[in-house]
Amino acid sequence: MPDLYLLKSALRDLVRVKKLSAAIILAVLPALIALAWRLDGTRHDVDLHAAYDALEGALVYGFVLVLLSVVFATGVVTQEVEGKTISYLLTRPVPRWRILLDKFAAALIAIILTTSVASLLLALVTYGPADLGKSHLARDLAILPVGALAYGSLFLWIATFLNRPLLIGLLFAFGWEAWVPSLPGSFQKISLMVYLRALAPHPQPTGESADLNSFLANTLAPAAISHTLAHWVLTAIILLALGLAIVTFSHREYLAREDLD
Amino acid sequence: MITLDHASRWYGQVIGINDVTCQITTGITALLGPNGAGKSTLMRLVTGQLRPTTGRVTVFDRKPFANPAVFRKLGYCPEIEASYDDMTGREFVTMLAALGGVGSNRLKDQVAETLQQVGMAENAERKIGGYSKGMRQRIKLAQCIVHDPDVLILDEPLNGLDPVGRRDMAAILTRLAASGKCILVSSHILYEVEALTHNILLIHRGRLLAQGNVHQIRSLIDAHPHRISITAEDPRRLAHHLLDLPYVLSVRFDAARAGWLEIETRSPEAFYGHFPDLVAAANCPISSFESPDNNLEAVFRYLVGE
Repeated sequence: MPDLYLLKSALRDLVRVKKLSAAIILAVLPALIALAWRLDGTRHDVDLHAAYDALEGALVYGFVLVLLSVVFATGVVTQEVEGKTISYLLTRPVPRWRILLDKFAAALIAIILTTSVASLLLALVTYGPADLGKSHLARDLAILPVGALAYGSLFLWIATFLNRPLLIGLLFAFGWEAWVPSLPGSFQKISLMVYLRALAPHPQPTGESADLNSFLANTLAPAAISHTLAHWVLTAIILLALGLAIVTFSHREYLAREDLD
Repeated sequence: MITLDHASRWYGQVIGINDVTCQITTGITALLGPNGAGKSTLMRLVTGQLRPTTGRVTVFDRKPFANPAVFRKLGYCPEIEASYDDMTGREFVTMLAALGGVGSNRLKDQVAETLQQVGMAENAERKIGGYSKGMRQRIKLAQCIVHDPDVLILDEPLNGLDPVGRRDMAAILTRLAASGKCILVSSHILYEVEALTHNILLIHRGRLLAQGNVHQIRSLIDAHPHRISITAEDPRRLAHHLLDLPYVLSVRFDAARAGWLEIETRSPEAFYGHFPDLVAAANCPISSFESPDNNLEAVFRYLVGE
């Protein structure tokens, strides 16, 4: 029963007006861009697959997924610490790892739901309801939870031992993850996004949609990584990051920054 | 129930508590000290949020840090005002009761009983964000006692309460203590805790200065030279009469402050008893009367020899 109450309270926190508004904006943003692009009268020979792939890869995977993972996963710990409410949770007879995982589960639900809605709306706008079956939507919806788990676990772990995890998380997400996949050779293999793109490739568009691609800086050449390797690596990262997060959270002392100062 | 054995806690170079040894058993014990004395650190050690840097802290003979077996028997009311502001009082107490191990079959009734007990039943459906400071204190107390713990740790629970709230809080704590609970209450105001208990731990700059009965602490206040400032129409005439009292040690004037004088006494209680009669007999009206030493800070300064 404690798990249910923790999950419920964490979910409830995620649907507060500010967070919900931000999630809704992020969910409709790719679709709005796609709509604007479709309404652009100068584009007649639109390749729908390429347009969808470019927007899905750059905006949903490269932006919405990563941003929500940073904000929601780091918030699992920092919100309680900075809000000083963590003392209520850590003095109850519930093992710390359960508190962490219950709250993380709520964050995951929010990330997966928002990114899935973003993908669905994007596919609807790009293909239209009748041609939705031609899209890669089903594949993307299947891989987004893997991405949410991988990024979420990593940022959760960061939040368990850093005092300012949001800043570090954002730097990692939009610095490291945006830059490393562009490196030549094997360097790109030290980025999570490369493995996600191996599972859900979003190749660069051709023709007029290439303009869009150049506009969106985060679309990259697909890495030569097999599905199997990608699955193994992502699974290992998820397990390792979650394990480290649990161990750290179970042993670390948590005090708000002003209390430490 | 609670034992600290040469327990120290440092935050880097900053001292939290230093070499504290004490035992706290059933009944109410007040942890008394000025702000920054180390009260909250001691409470965080006892409630298993912090580990001692050196020494040992145990609750029911177990180390409390991240220990659910200890938390089953422990209730903690933090000093912080922060809470889950979007929840109603009832939701807040219900969630923490569930986390505290109250079974689903008893949950609703136990929460209702506790809210009634702390006087929050009528406001239980309001969001905590809209609560007054006094209501927050009451709802924090509710979450602390809802799972019927044997040990209650309350960090400044009387802060922000009006006189009625203080009286109610004292009544609740006294009742809980009478039922065999071990209650540790922190405060920085002596008169606040005098109404609660006679059993006091005096802490200052991380050190446990004294442990014992509140009367002993009071006598510490009374034993050291005690200053009393008076503003009178004719301070020199008043001084003449005051010097006739055997327990007045000295009288001081200040040329910069008209009508002001300060006396020093070793028997403030006797002085306070005779002073009204003396003023009346001397026909020497006074306009103010205060003692800069009649507070906890003065006791601490005295005890640490400053």
